[in-house]
Amino acid sequence: MSLKILSFIEELSNMQPPEDFSGLKGSIIDELRKINSEYDKLQFKYERSNKDKNILSSLLTRTSVDLMKVSDNLKIRAEELSTLLATIPAYVYFKDTSLNYMIVNRSFAELAGVASDQIIGKKIQEIFPGYFNHEYIKKEMEVLESGLAKYNIEEEMDLQDKKRWLNSNIAPIRNAENQIIGLIGISWDITERKLHEEQLRESKELAEAGTHAKNEFIASISHEFRTPMAGILGLSEILKNSALTPEQTDLLKGITTSAENLLVLLNDVLDFSAIEAGKMEMDYQPFLLDRVMEDISLVMKMKAAEKSIIFNILTDPGVPNLLIGDSQRLRQIIINLTNNAVKFTEKGKIDVLITRVDQSGNKANLKFEVVDTGIGIPPGSMDSLFRVFSRVRQDKSKLISGTGLGLSICKKLTDLMGGTIGVESMPGKGSTFWFTLPFTLSNLQKNKPDPPLPEETTGFTKKLVLVAEDNVINQRIVSFQLKKMGFEVDMVGDGQEAFEKYHTRVYDLIILDIQMPLMDGYQVAKAIREEEKGTIRHSAIIALTANAMKGDRELYLNAGMDEYVSKPFTYEILQKAISSVIG
Amino acid sequence: MVVKSFHTDSVKGFRQAWADQTAGGFNPNAVVVFSSVELDLQEIVSFLQPRNVSVFGCSSCGEFLYDEHNQVITEGGLVCLMMALIPGTFEIRLFSGKDQSSFDLGNKVGKWAGDVFEKPAILILGSGLDTDGEQLVRGIQHVAGNDITMFGGLAGDDARFKETFVFSGDKLENNGAIAMAFDTKNYEIHGIATSGWVSIGADKIITHSEGNVVYTIDGQPALDVYKSYLNVRDTDLPEIGVEYPLLIKKAGAPDVLRAVINVDIEKKLLIFAGTVPNGAVVTFSSSPGFEIIEYTRNKVNEFYEMNRETDVLILFSCMARHNALGPTISEEIDEAWKNWGKPLAGFFTYGEIGNNYNASCDFYNETFTMVSLKQKPDVT
Repeated sequence: MSLKILSFIEELSNMQPPEDFSGLKGSIIDELRKINSEYDKLQFKYERSNKDKNILSSLLTRTSVDLMKVSDNLKIRAEELSTLLATIPAYVYFKDTSLNYMIVNRSFAELAGVASDQIIGKKIQEIFPGYFNHEYIKKEMEVLESGLAKYNIEEEMDLQDKKRWLNSNIAPIRNAENQIIGLIGISWDITERKLHEEQLRESKELAEAGTHAKNEFIASISHEFRTPMAGILGLSEILKNSALTPEQTDLLKGITTSAENLLVLLNDVLDFSAIEAGKMEMDYQPFLLDRVMEDISLVMKMKAAEKSIIFNILTDPGVPNLLIGDSQRLRQIIINLTNNAVKFTEKGKIDVLITRVDQSGNKANLKFEVVDTGIGIPPGSMDSLFRVFSRVRQDKSKLISGTGLGLSICKKLTDLMGGTIGVESMPGKGSTFWFTLPFTLSNLQKNKPDPPLPEETTGFTKKLVLVAEDNVINQRIVSFQLKKMGFEVDMVGDGQEAFEKYHTRVYDLIILDIQMPLMDGYQVAKAIREEEKGTIRHSAIIALTANAMKGDRELYLNAGMDEYVSKPFTYEILQKAISSVIG
Repeated sequence: MVVKSFHTDSVKGFRQAWADQTAGGFNPNAVVVFSSVELDLQEIVSFLQPRNVSVFGCSSCGEFLYDEHNQVITEGGLVCLMMALIPGTFEIRLFSGKDQSSFDLGNKVGKWAGDVFEKPAILILGSGLDTDGEQLVRGIQHVAGNDITMFGGLAGDDARFKETFVFSGDKLENNGAIAMAFDTKNYEIHGIATSGWVSIGADKIITHSEGNVVYTIDGQPALDVYKSYLNVRDTDLPEIGVEYPLLIKKAGAPDVLRAVINVDIEKKLLIFAGTVPNGAVVTFSSSPGFEIIEYTRNKVNEFYEMNRETDVLILFSCMARHNALGPTISEEIDEAWKNWGKPLAGFFTYGEIGNNYNASCDFYNETFTMVSLKQKPDVT
């Protein structure tokens, strides 16, 4: 506020003007106050402007620095973008909303075979005469309309001299107001990739055909092997029951052992090819662990005893007994490892230890260890032990017999069941082969006694059985085994004969080989079931088969068989199968 | 609606003015008081307590009153509106904000307003320098709905930035809110909120903030950024910061201004009058000069054309406007007085709350936010 004006107002207020001027004095004072108020405002504006000037000039200086930085960054970005466009091995183009080219990169111009400036402002048909891919142009229009990018559009372009495959992405370009002002397209030449894909496809088909052929071959060869094997084992068994000299008994034992070894080999090869073909399926069922271990103990104790080795199975009390898992495969792994232990141990003992690693809820991990006092494994050989066809060479001359498949099958089986396998060994002291497997605990029958073993067939005396088998040797084996069980046997050589016989007598049991002349086992079974339809009659039928691949079982059962026995079979297996259908 | 008003600069003057106004038998039941912290607010509350009136008051950063006797803009004074309203058509309640977020405080206000009237409109004053005005508004809207009519401001303390108050006829609260709810069946309540501030400089990013506390801008301590861009000293803040608020760019919504109301020099952080979201794109802003007075006058005239009838006007004007416009601020208040010629009282705030004519409510800084109260003609 102006002190001069204020003091003037004060002075004026104190003046005592003549009467005529008193009104005028009031007006002058009012006007002076207004002037003072305006003066205050002007002074404020002046001071304010000075204050603002400093701050605003600082703000503007800093802002211009900021803008310079932004501008520098934009220049760098533009430089980077232009380098990228020039060097990227892709065809890049910008088009306006009428689909005229606005910018193209060097690669694009090279593809078109003309300079960039001759492309700008033109449409694709003018650059590539004969280009009529309406689908692609339609997609560009859709991008402009929808504002949404499109990816991986593949098309084959017919250029003047060659055909090229292109993969393109198209995206809209927007201005600051978010309006679409054009689009950017990036195309990659994928001709080479397409060629490779084609070659790969062909290779894959070839490989698949090869694998298929291999599996077919293994299936058929296993069948071919199993038939004579059945003969050898069956005849040996018959022979064993006849009067033999000690020397003949020894020889026969040799034959049996060789045949059994061959059977193991055959089973290994079959298992391995099934695993390799991804056809190995696990069969998870409830089972009793102690029962499995008893079976193993029976077999292995005998084998160990032959070499005067002690064999023990020691199960930790905390190990659950009623489990869900594939007991057959568990048995196979333990037998394989214990067989190896027996093979490589000359004196001392073999212990199988079973412990629980952990348990949570109804899941438990169990550890199985096969500990021997055998020759041990050299440290350098342990890594390769579980590889296919790997066998440990003990010295230069001696190679332990075997296929080299056993351990690799064990490894694959434990892998398939979600477990791990390993070995620790000290040469000269012995080895410990171990594996862990997860099991589900079955809550069924937990408090019930163990399920009874299949009843020992005390005899099928006077029971009548019809057997259809074309192989004469197998006829003799089956016939021998059935008679031993007490059956009265009717034997025929083909399916048709079997079907005719079926009409002449009432059989307690019918055993049908699958592969037979005139009518095969399936056809006979189907024909019998057809006749039985609508009656209460149901003949018990067992199939004999050399096809031991998993998955066959369903086939037999669907054909109307009640059970099947895979060749070669032992007396016990056949007896068990018969008991299950007429026992 | 009968309204009387007075201005004073002391508690003694307040008592005297009260006695003068009520001498002729005038018996107000609702009193609005905006007072400087220079006056003993507790004494004012104690004076009003036995007088059986509902009080809606707060501390200020400058006050103004325009009526047939006064056209004053003061600092260190008090303005008072004494109203005789129809009982049952309004309610006033004081809320404590202690130990709760501004959002939760808003929730309580919103719930109360919904309980007292089916369709309420709210006048609200907030105190506490850390009170987040935006969260207070969001809290009320969360319960009462986005379309609720609401006007008000954050209390001031003559730019000391130490302690601000709201008060009722019973109690003074340095961290809370006081709300006056009107039954919209009986009142027409409309208003405007206009700023005129403009963005300056390049975009910046809020790189670390929590609610209304900003730690870093473009990765630098927030206080350092303010000091270096405005070329000011630590001690110039927050006063200068109030005049150069951050303008927050909101995608698809109007930009909002957020003024600095407090500074932590040691931690180099700034406290704003409302939320500044993490990652927000902001610029500095400034009043573009004295032409914003013209801008505001135009807005006031537009509002007058839409809403010619009023009983009383309450104005919440940002203290930054007062700083920026100095004595010329009277020109924008004059415009309102000239148009309606009805009592107009208000104060310079630390933040304003309001709906732009019939739009949803928001929290602002740097605005001229005015509300018009009119008793509906069919209610007598």
